[in-house]
Amino acid sequence: MIKIEKLSKFYGKKQVLNSIDLEFKKGKIYGIVGENGAGKTTLFRCISGLENYKGNITSDYTKLKDHLGLLLTEPFFFSKITGKEYIQLLANARQIELTNIEDKNIFDLPLNQYASTYSTGMKKKLALTAILLQENNVFILDEPFNGVDIQSNLIITEIIKRFKKLEKTVIISSHIFSTLADTCDEIYLMKNGEIIKKVEQVDFNKLENEMKEFTVGNRIDKLELK
Amino acid sequence: MKEYFLLQFKILNRKMIDFGLPLLIGYTLLPFIFVLLSNYLFEKTEFANYAYGLVAISLVSKLSEPKRNDFLKSIFNKYNYKKLRILENIIYCLPFTLFLIYQKQFVFSVILNLCVIIIMLFNFSTNLNITIPTPFSKKPFEFTVGFRKTFYVFPIAYFLTYISVSVGNFNLGVFSMLLIGIICFSYYSKIENEYFVWNYNLSSKEFLLKKTKTCLIYFSLLSLPIIITLAVYFYNEIDILIVFFLLSYAYLTTIIFAKYSSFPNEMNMSQGILIAISFMFPPILLIFIPHFYSQSIKKLNAILND
Repeated sequence: MIKIEKLSKFYGKKQVLNSIDLEFKKGKIYGIVGENGAGKTTLFRCISGLENYKGNITSDYTKLKDHLGLLLTEPFFFSKITGKEYIQLLANARQIELTNIEDKNIFDLPLNQYASTYSTGMKKKLALTAILLQENNVFILDEPFNGVDIQSNLIITEIIKRFKKLEKTVIISSHIFSTLADTCDEIYLMKNGEIIKKVEQVDFNKLENEMKEFTVGNRIDKLELK
Repeated sequence: MKEYFLLQFKILNRKMIDFGLPLLIGYTLLPFIFVLLSNYLFEKTEFANYAYGLVAISLVSKLSEPKRNDFLKSIFNKYNYKKLRILENIIYCLPFTLFLIYQKQFVFSVILNLCVIIIMLFNFSTNLNITIPTPFSKKPFEFTVGFRKTFYVFPIAYFLTYISVSVGNFNLGVFSMLLIGIICFSYYSKIENEYFVWNYNLSSKEFLLKKTKTCLIYFSLLSLPIIITLAVYFYNEIDILIVFFLLSYAYLTTIIFAKYSSFPNEMNMSQGILIAISFMFPPILLIFIPHFYSQSIKKLNAILND
């Protein structure tokens, strides 16, 4: 379990997270939705320990980060590292011996090519494969479906469902509501650094409609499209 | 187009400030260093103008990167794009042109400028779709990436060792070993993305130890053919060889510790100055290594949650 209490984060004078309280349990899938700049990525970076913060983040693990697989929105790749070497690098960092990486290449990536030459979607799939092979117990997936083709989308959705059975904790952010509705047990709505709503599975459709109404509203009319 | 060049000027200023170099000092110091190095080159060799031209062209060719030029093409029309690229290449080359004129190398300065204008017509891809094999693909990214970028230096270093033995020049042999050291040193000069450090489930001390151990082992492996050859052919000078080998170890350790002492930021000017001082007075490493080590531990503790 991960427990977040009164989490706040400032960049200079600007407050980006405001007293957030959350609890993530084992075997549950959580979704975080919100506009760009709502604070989702900052929240993930705080949980991962990549940012300093005010408040408390506790977990069942002595060092949460050592059990955490973090998929960044835009994964970073070195210029002359192949896909296979990238996977190996991340496994080595966690002292995991990997064998037959090619057999685990579920997204059919060109593993012997430099990862920096991959397309956006391929980079995402490679980064995801690498953290899947790290044998983590907790996963934070920041926009896992961004730029990914429909086939891989299905695979990722199935992986997330499998994690639930394996009693792992998964936290996902996505702009594609349908994928969250398919996989999540609970969805949190973030706005201006605060959690403004918690929604259970039964109310997902209602949330989607509310979000559409709130987000789109009559904004497009302002463009006076002709 | 004016805005583009103003923007480039702003970017240059920002880079200097980020490096910890006040603009006034930067704009005084950089031309001074440039003139100093150029003078040194022209004093040392009669082929300086050729070397000078090559350096200038290789610098200007960096502006021919396809992605960058595709972006410029997308925002400027064809005529303005060409005008901009020619101007940009000439401006980039200007310090070299001025120094060539100062050296009364008028023809060379004209040829150089013609070359940089012609370069504008080409786009050089820095990302060929060929994967260069490396013996270091299993472990640290520094050697995997570094080897692929500098693989051609190793045969040169080994060839220099061969020549040093053939002509009985021990100094040249030591230089070839130092060349390997300098190349390995360069692998650690750039900071990696914090994500790659964060992923390690090691304490800060273990992390630094692992990085240092790997670096020294791989450096030893790469310089082993040179060391064995020199030890056999110049047995009487083995003590000097050992001193230089240990110094290489010390400098490699220094660069690793210095790199992480400013993590996740790039090394700043003060660290650069300390390293430069250590090259002039190696015993000072006995102070700098522990200093950089303690700074690194502090910085790494934050990211490794130690």
